[in-house]
Amino acid sequence: MYIYKGPQKAIGRELSESVRREPSKIMQCLRAPPDDLSILERQGACLLNWQQQDQEQPNYNPRGRGYCRQMQTSFQGLPSGCGGDKNANHGYVHGSIDCFSNGWPDLANIRYPVPGAATVEEASITNVSSNSSRKRKADKSPRSKENGGGGKGESSCKRIKEETGGGATSETGQPNKKEAASGDASKKNDKPPKTDCIHVRARRGQATDSHSLAERVRRERISQRMKYLQDLVPGCSKITGKAGMLDEIINYVQSLQRQVEFLSMKLATASPLMNINIDNIFGREVQINPSCKSGSTAMTGMSSELLDQSCLRFDSLQHPHPCAGLDMFMDSSDLVLRQNVNPPVAVPDASFGSSFDVNGCSVWSTNLQSLYGVDFQQGRGAALPF
Amino acid sequence: MQVTEAFKHAFLKQMLLGFQASAVSTKSMGFQERKNAIKLSADVAMAVARGSRKWTRGLIAGLSEERQNRSFLRLILGEQYESLLKPCHSSWKIPRCKKIVRRSLRVCWRKQKKNQSGVLARTLVEKRTQELKRLVPGGESMDGSSLLDETLDYVLSLRAQVDLMQSLLTTFEASKLSRSGWRLKGRGKAKAYTVVAWEEHVLWRKYMRRR
Repeated sequence: MYIYKGPQKAIGRELSESVRREPSKIMQCLRAPPDDLSILERQGACLLNWQQQDQEQPNYNPRGRGYCRQMQTSFQGLPSGCGGDKNANHGYVHGSIDCFSNGWPDLANIRYPVPGAATVEEASITNVSSNSSRKRKADKSPRSKENGGGGKGESSCKRIKEETGGGATSETGQPNKKEAASGDASKKNDKPPKTDCIHVRARRGQATDSHSLAERVRRERISQRMKYLQDLVPGCSKITGKAGMLDEIINYVQSLQRQVEFLSMKLATASPLMNINIDNIFGREVQINPSCKSGSTAMTGMSSELLDQSCLRFDSLQHPHPCAGLDMFMDSSDLVLRQNVNPPVAVPDASFGSSFDVNGCSVWSTNLQSLYGVDFQQGRGAALPF
Repeated sequence: MQVTEAFKHAFLKQMLLGFQASAVSTKSMGFQERKNAIKLSADVAMAVARGSRKWTRGLIAGLSEERQNRSFLRLILGEQYESLLKPCHSSWKIPRCKKIVRRSLRVCWRKQKKNQSGVLARTLVEKRTQELKRLVPGGESMDGSSLLDETLDYVLSLRAQVDLMQSLLTTFEASKLSRSGWRLKGRGKAKAYTVVAWEEHVLWRKYMRRR
């Protein structure tokens, strides 16, 4: 199990930091100087406070109260269970509280009561399973079991329930990269009505002033985006470091732009020959509906087929799914064949279009690789590898 | 991370509409002119299909800076054209900001003279960021993380543009070949093929010389 071991100083700092933002209810818990009190004692104080609140508010969800009681019992088993865990799952208390908030409206504002809650969950987890590999999962699994049917109104709880259906396995609901900023930001996303500001936790051994926290959030965002770009730009998996990555990105963008230029040049040579097609396409069909497969006339059929085929071929260039692509091609080619049973003779311009289309469907009705090969096998001569 | 189907469809549609509007196929124009018109159509189609993002606005603003493009843009975009140009005025703030930025950089530089390695790394990244800002349309007025966001989007759209143009090209060339195949028979077909290949070769040489 992943255990976050932090010195009490850091914890105290974090507590005070969150306390600055939170309502005063929790102040009573945390008034004791952090260095003197052991965590367990502080947790005890917090939990007592919580219980008092629980008793004061009779309109609490009974199940919620039961949860609190259960927590208390497991809390009592804490010293045996957790032993040397003096720390708290600071980052995850948000999650725990988020789940409670439905049942305990009064506690909804309190984002961080309770190292107690978190460690209690840890304790129950150690009892339940010893395999949870991440703290957040540890948070969620007992919560989902204990909450049962209640307190599930929030989407996060529902998600948690689904996720932990199979026990403490890898979760997908939230990005679980780092404890502090991203974790809190994602928890914040679960509960949009809560607050607008991003809650950031200072990590061990790091400064806690607002500037450096904001700086860290920004840096993490940037590194996340660099990761996406790394996936996007080919051949970047081995490169670490911002400068090298940026270099690759710049090269890639430049090469794509150059490719566009070159292709437009090639299209410029081909364009005098494409005039008839385009005019025919747009002459008959003002509104292009690429998804429409049943054209009333051959021309509309052709235009939609042209687009379909271009789009489909376009698709296949991006996603090589041969089976799906082939099916689509077969469908479109079948349709085209059916529609072009009577080659349109009446309209003279259409002859080029229909001829193009017939060729097109014969071209696209076969394997992608041997596209033009087949075409040329039908009596046109050498295969042309484009 | 891939572009959506709707984007591809919209892109293709816009591009073909743009070709028609600029009449690349019918009007008799020089080669350069035709190539520029095609590129313009393609870029505008990409921007329109993507919707409203910083780089699309920057792209259209950049394109409208040249007078010859403006009539085409007005034709394609309609009322959106005027509304798209308005936010551009925010870019006027930049010259002022640059002075402040430079001053603060100078101060930071003095403070950081001692930390040489960090400075080196930072300047490398800075230089490349500047380069990237120049490449991505509308990138001058973006900060680090949004620049990367826009770059991501821009790269995806560029890739889609390249793929689309390539498929269009193969479509048209296939039709060209087949049409010339109709007229010519036997050895003529081989001739048609060689004609096309030669044209391409000439184009490629022209292109490379220009570079």
